Amino acid sequence: MKATGFFVGVAFGFLVAAAGLSRYDVIHDMLLLREPDVFLLMGSAVAVAAPILLFLERKRWQTPFGGALKVTRAPITRDTVTGAAVFGAGWAIAGTCPVPALAMTAGGSVLGLCVAAGLFGGVAARDAMKKKPAADAGC
Amino acid sequence: MDLLPERLAWYIAGPLMGLCVVALYALANRPLGATTAYSETIRFARGLQFDAWRVWLLGGFFAGALAYALLGPGISFSTDYGALGRQLPLGVLVLLLAGAGFVMGFGARWSGGCTSGHGLRGSASLSPASLAATGTFMATAIAITAIVHFATGGDL
Repeated sequence: MKATGFFVGVAFGFLVAAAGLSRYDVIHDMLLLREPDVFLLMGSAVAVAAPILLFLERKRWQTPFGGALKVTRAPITRDTVTGAAVFGAGWAIAGTCPVPALAMTAGGSVLGLCVAAGLFGGVAARDAMKKKPAADAGC
Repeated sequence: MDLLPERLAWYIAGPLMGLCVVALYALANRPLGATTAYSETIRFARGLQFDAWRVWLLGGFFAGALAYALLGPGISFSTDYGALGRQLPLGVLVLLLAGAGFVMGFGARWSGGCTSGHGLRGSASLSPASLAATGTFMATAIAITAIVHFATGGDL
């Protein structure tokens, strides 16, 4: 389980950095609607993963390390939407998000480290309020 | 060393990132997501009970990006921050970016996910919460970026 988490993380972190998602200008140009690439990247990731997950679910896939596959789904709540709006505000200002901030830091960015430190602080602050996330997406 | 292209095309990176989501589900029955990995890493650092695989996932994110840096552009310690970095002095940038990071972390935990957990994993699972969250953070971020763009006279 730990090894699977680590190696999937390695692949994902590598791709985030390689696709330029850890550059402020790439995300800023996306959010200015100047360049469609990141929208296409996210859309193609979902378009590839969604049918495979549906297929595996229908096949009642037995995972090697975690039992029968259960794809988690959650209903929409007010917290889901309010929290996402708050997240979007930070994303727009920083031009980066949780994995890309780590990727920035790995590349030597001092300011990426500032974002990552802020992220740890924000997550800790919310957790300290002892409220369970609205619909834990596992993120 | 510079063995890699300047920027991997979306039509290669996107599907492969989708396969990362599939791989974690198909091998370990676990949802890929960054914010919970941050949360569990904090619990680990505090000596509380924690979900070890999520800490390994976070370590993997960092290690993968480090591997890219070593194989591609190299590691360069710098205070560059693209267009934003050219607009503001370093002291202001440090505070602004740490603050924006805090807001993101707080909001993502509140919402139950971020760009990876809601945007990719949850959307690929067709989870209603994730589809709503993704639409909301995209719309908010686009709106705020547009406001910043006009407020700065197009400098940002």
